[in-house]
Amino acid sequence: MTTATAANDTGPAGVPPASWLARALGFFSGTVGLVIKIGFLAVTNSLAIYAVVVLLTDGHWISGGLVAVATLLIDVVYLGPWHQAVPLKFLVPGTIFLIGFQVVPLLSNANISFTNWSTGHNLTHQEAIAAIEENSLTPPADGATYTMTPARQGGDLVLLLVDEVTSKAYAGSKDGLTPLPPADVTIENGTVTAAKGYETVKGAELLRLDEEMGKLLIPTTGSSFIRAEGLSQAIELQPTLRYVPARDVFVNVETKTVYRDNGEGSYVSPDGEALEPGWRTYIGAQNFKKIATDPLVRDPFVRVFIWTFVYAGLSVFLTFALGLFLAIVLNKPDLRLQRLQRALLVIPFAIPAYLSVLVWGGLLNDDFGAINNLLGVHIPWLFDPTWAKISCILVNLWLGFPYFFLVCTGALQAIPGELTEAARVDGATSRQVFRKITLPLLLVATAPLLIASFAFNFNNFNNIYLLTGGGPLQADQAVAGSTDILISYTYKLAFQAGKGSDYGLASAVSIIIFFIIATISAISFWRTKSLENLT
Amino acid sequence: MFNIRTLRAILALAVVALAVVVVVSPATSAPKATPTIVIWADKDRVPAVTKVANLWAQSKGVTVSVVQKEMGPIREDLKTVQTDTAPDVILGAHDWVGEVAANGSVVPLFPSAATKAQFPAYALNAFSYGTAIKKLYGAPVALENIALITNTKLAKVPTSFADMEKQALAVKKKTGAAVGLSVQQGSGGDAYHMYPLFSGLCGYIFGTNSAGNLDPSAIGVANPKFLKNAGMIDTWNKEGLIRSSVDSSISKDLFLKGKTAYFFSGPWNLSDIRKTPGLQTKITAFPAIAGTGCKSVPFLGVQGLMVTKFAAAHGVDSFAKDFVGNYMMQPAAQLALAAANDRFPANTIAGKQVADKDVKAFGAASVGGVPMPNIPQMSSVWGDLGSAWVRSTKGPGSIPAKRSFIGAQKSIAQKIG
Amino acid sequence: MTTIDTLEEAEAPFAGSRVVEAAPKEPRRHGDLWWRYLISILAIAFAIFPALYVLSAAFNSVPSLSSASLIPSSLTLDNFREILTNPAINGEKTNVHYPNWYLNSMIVAFASALFTVMLGALAAYAFSRFRFKGRRMGMLTLLLIQMFPQFLAVVAIYLILLRTGEIFPVIGLNSLTGLVLVYLGGALGVNAWLMKGFFDSIPNELDESARVDGATPAQVFWGIILPLGAPVLAVVGLLSFISTMNEYLIAGRLLQSTTKFTLPVGMYGFIADQYGQRWGPFCAGVVLAAIPVVVLFMFLQRFIVHGLTSGSVKG
Repeated sequence: MTTATAANDTGPAGVPPASWLARALGFFSGTVGLVIKIGFLAVTNSLAIYAVVVLLTDGHWISGGLVAVATLLIDVVYLGPWHQAVPLKFLVPGTIFLIGFQVVPLLSNANISFTNWSTGHNLTHQEAIAAIEENSLTPPADGATYTMTPARQGGDLVLLLVDEVTSKAYAGSKDGLTPLPPADVTIENGTVTAAKGYETVKGAELLRLDEEMGKLLIPTTGSSFIRAEGLSQAIELQPTLRYVPARDVFVNVETKTVYRDNGEGSYVSPDGEALEPGWRTYIGAQNFKKIATDPLVRDPFVRVFIWTFVYAGLSVFLTFALGLFLAIVLNKPDLRLQRLQRALLVIPFAIPAYLSVLVWGGLLNDDFGAINNLLGVHIPWLFDPTWAKISCILVNLWLGFPYFFLVCTGALQAIPGELTEAARVDGATSRQVFRKITLPLLLVATAPLLIASFAFNFNNFNNIYLLTGGGPLQADQAVAGSTDILISYTYKLAFQAGKGSDYGLASAVSIIIFFIIATISAISFWRTKSLENLT
Repeated sequence: MFNIRTLRAILALAVVALAVVVVVSPATSAPKATPTIVIWADKDRVPAVTKVANLWAQSKGVTVSVVQKEMGPIREDLKTVQTDTAPDVILGAHDWVGEVAANGSVVPLFPSAATKAQFPAYALNAFSYGTAIKKLYGAPVALENIALITNTKLAKVPTSFADMEKQALAVKKKTGAAVGLSVQQGSGGDAYHMYPLFSGLCGYIFGTNSAGNLDPSAIGVANPKFLKNAGMIDTWNKEGLIRSSVDSSISKDLFLKGKTAYFFSGPWNLSDIRKTPGLQTKITAFPAIAGTGCKSVPFLGVQGLMVTKFAAAHGVDSFAKDFVGNYMMQPAAQLALAAANDRFPANTIAGKQVADKDVKAFGAASVGGVPMPNIPQMSSVWGDLGSAWVRSTKGPGSIPAKRSFIGAQKSIAQKIG
Repeated sequence: MTTIDTLEEAEAPFAGSRVVEAAPKEPRRHGDLWWRYLISILAIAFAIFPALYVLSAAFNSVPSLSSASLIPSSLTLDNFREILTNPAINGEKTNVHYPNWYLNSMIVAFASALFTVMLGALAAYAFSRFRFKGRRMGMLTLLLIQMFPQFLAVVAIYLILLRTGEIFPVIGLNSLTGLVLVYLGGALGVNAWLMKGFFDSIPNELDESARVDGATPAQVFWGIILPLGAPVLAVVGLLSFISTMNEYLIAGRLLQSTTKFTLPVGMYGFIADQYGQRWGPFCAGVVLAAIPVVVLFMFLQRFIVHGLTSGSVKG
């Protein structure tokens, strides 16, 4: 019986190998390691203190509190004497990132799914009111436009205006327009450059005038006023909507229509006209209700779900089968150039997936693609619903088989030869050996990988969208094309329907997809007992 | 070794020391001396914008900072950006105006009457939006549209659509190409490139309401006039004039290699066309289709500058408005920016000064063109309209155009809701 | 006939620490191998077929991804030259910084692979060696969390880094460090499970004898488990490296200035312009970018193949 030994040299049996790697690591695990640990903790704590200080001074109580609590917990784990905390010491570093960049986005998405965040609902309530007021300003029918020069009289800001039509000069202040006698003003190129009794603003002071100029409204007649526009123009404007803070409504100045807050982020009139922009607000479970009740969303759901399931399932099955097949075929150590063969088979990995998918799209073109040309046929790979589905799976097969090829290659070599030999001695054929021994062992070992691969393909937006765009879209299909999976269908619902960019709806559908796939996976883990030894 | 108490003491000391160091070190940036105008532009236009903006900034005594971002991120990040990293001015396409205005991200502009007179009405319209009253939200700078590019060695510039059809099919037979016209679609469709054919058959996207604004409930994708003419699509499909399998690279490839005589494309392909040896082209408008009563016009894309709501928060609102509403709308600046990318300027005075004959030809082909609808509901249209064409022009197995477009209209109506 | 009856026996194979029996040498029969070579050739053809198109486009002066011909119509190195030297177009310098992108990608990929392996190994050690409450739920949660659809997570991650950048600019938006930290969010997942499975095969006796000698769990981890686990670390490192090299959604959203881009982000600009796609330089860039992956793979093959298997001495 020969024993295969580790890649490193061995010392006496039972003692860790004394390779350079081990010695290097051993160096770090003594006092030096302790110092490093203290160092890390010190850095973490000081950074945390800094962060907490900054957050609290800016008024972010929740974030500041969370950072403080988290840091304290970390200190407890690493400094505390409790024996139970030992496994936590190893889990904490990875978990920090997991929480920060996986869990928090997940929670954030959950949060968004209860809001109406979409096109037209992007501001806060106050910002929306200000924007509606700004948008309601229109030049009145007989409104005038002026060239403008900012100036000062006493300490007050005054705009020196020249009416573009009548060429008359005025000085405009918060009290109104004062005509300027032509003798007192110098006008060049239609703009006032000097006026008696006023000092034009120049140089550095001009740079700080912005806020003041924006607030200076020169009243004319009724509710119209003149305001600066840019650095050298002014225009007469009139509000068409008036905001009533006490009742939180907008009133149309002319028609007296009242626009009320409809509780969903917009001011609407009695006949349904909404003012834009609206604002972002919580709308409860409306997005989820829409998914259940809106025929646009609900009708394709089952069809898309079934195809998603089939797509993910077939992808996993075929990539695993092909990978395993090649692993078995190429497993003979007698084969020459094994390393080269393996390197070539892994090439699909080396090219970015999005490029590969685009290349495949070109290859599968039914009139001009290389595949139809080589085979001399005219298969509508991407234009026929059924063939498009086959194309998606084919491309996925190409992208995925190297992974399982590698995994199975390793796993096959792990199966003890004694088992298979014993079986053969007992008279089993190769196929029976495979079915009764090799395959079950393999499946047990790779089950979580298969499940994870299923989940990955379930959510594989890129491979579908880049290849077929989710299409072909049949004449009787609304949003979901023939190859749309749940995630690409979500994308289209959110970004290519209604007014586009419906993050609230997209979040809600994402959460539902997550529940679906998590349930399927959890059940699969349970059924394959892969986590059995983790009790 | 160390006992726990010593350990804790060392740790506490280290923490305090580091904390002091970290907190004391200056972290915030000093406030800026002169106001800076931040402009977001995409990579093709950054050099030109920088040059033009710097000239303006020097004359006003401010500084300009041009940040490069792709078009997509400009549009997306504008929704989530925080005030201190937000732009004051963005360079964007007119078909976002509806979205950014509905989001309240950009502010209305009121250029002087004299300035506005230098622009064709549709260019200003393209940057206007409003459900009740339309406001101008941006300064148009450059026009972009596709035109008919003819390979003059293979065929002659067509006098009518029927003439183009005849010549294209003759070339197709001679070269053995699979398609007569180089118009791109791809499996996802391309409503933009198919628009000249669509408009030529009397199709349109949105009608207008009484106020003259685009009405998202009046969808004209399957309007009666178009349906009457839709049979032509089936003919073209049968004779192989157009094919949906032709995507952007195939379309260009066929034309550059001399397999097709006619190319529906825009100025972005000019450099590749000029690079191809032996290829002689002429750029013209699209020929009208006899019997329909409608002209074949392309979709117009207008690029322009918009002032964001953040400019006021930064205290540079009047400067931004001066830059966009005044300076950039003058002929000189328009010419400089548009010419940098082989585009035709929106300002008509600048347009007369364009030197490059190809750019001038694209400008001529834009006459009568329809700006892409800029209302947010347009996002529901592209996919369906493109797919309608794909379904009817994929060669054998296509469905009749009438059914295809009726289906598209139904789907769009359902999506817009 | 041996069958798998108990869980124990089913568990056995991924042990890896068992003896690998060398089959008694059979007389070599070349006739036996020819069909293996044939299948291998067919599989390799299938695998590299699209890659050949990319290669061809890289050397073609007027390339398009959909040419039916594999042989470039006119060979040229212009595409490589264009992508490496940032030539001027229309008199203006284009914003192509390929060498920067390459370097950035290398840094981000290596760093993220290294730390992913580190964090994953730490967690795998805990799951493998310690029996604590919530072990099973913990592992299940880790595996399930990674299944959340990513594309909307990008928006949230963008906002997180935005806020973080306000406090610590060095790890905020538009920083490679920040990007690496985001990738580390995925460190605990299936990779950790893979490593755990391998660590399970390292006999507990080694641990115990070291503990008897007074080693702390940390010392056991660094001194015994890691060295012996080198093969699976190499596998996970390679997988992580590859996936990071090709990731463009998150990197595209977080990196803002051209010199900070990674390869996928920078090159995507070549084909992002809907109407101005430049396949030639793009494919040239991809070809150059594929080299380190292939090199790394060939270098690590030793570990990978023997890796999930024989790794330690049976005491």
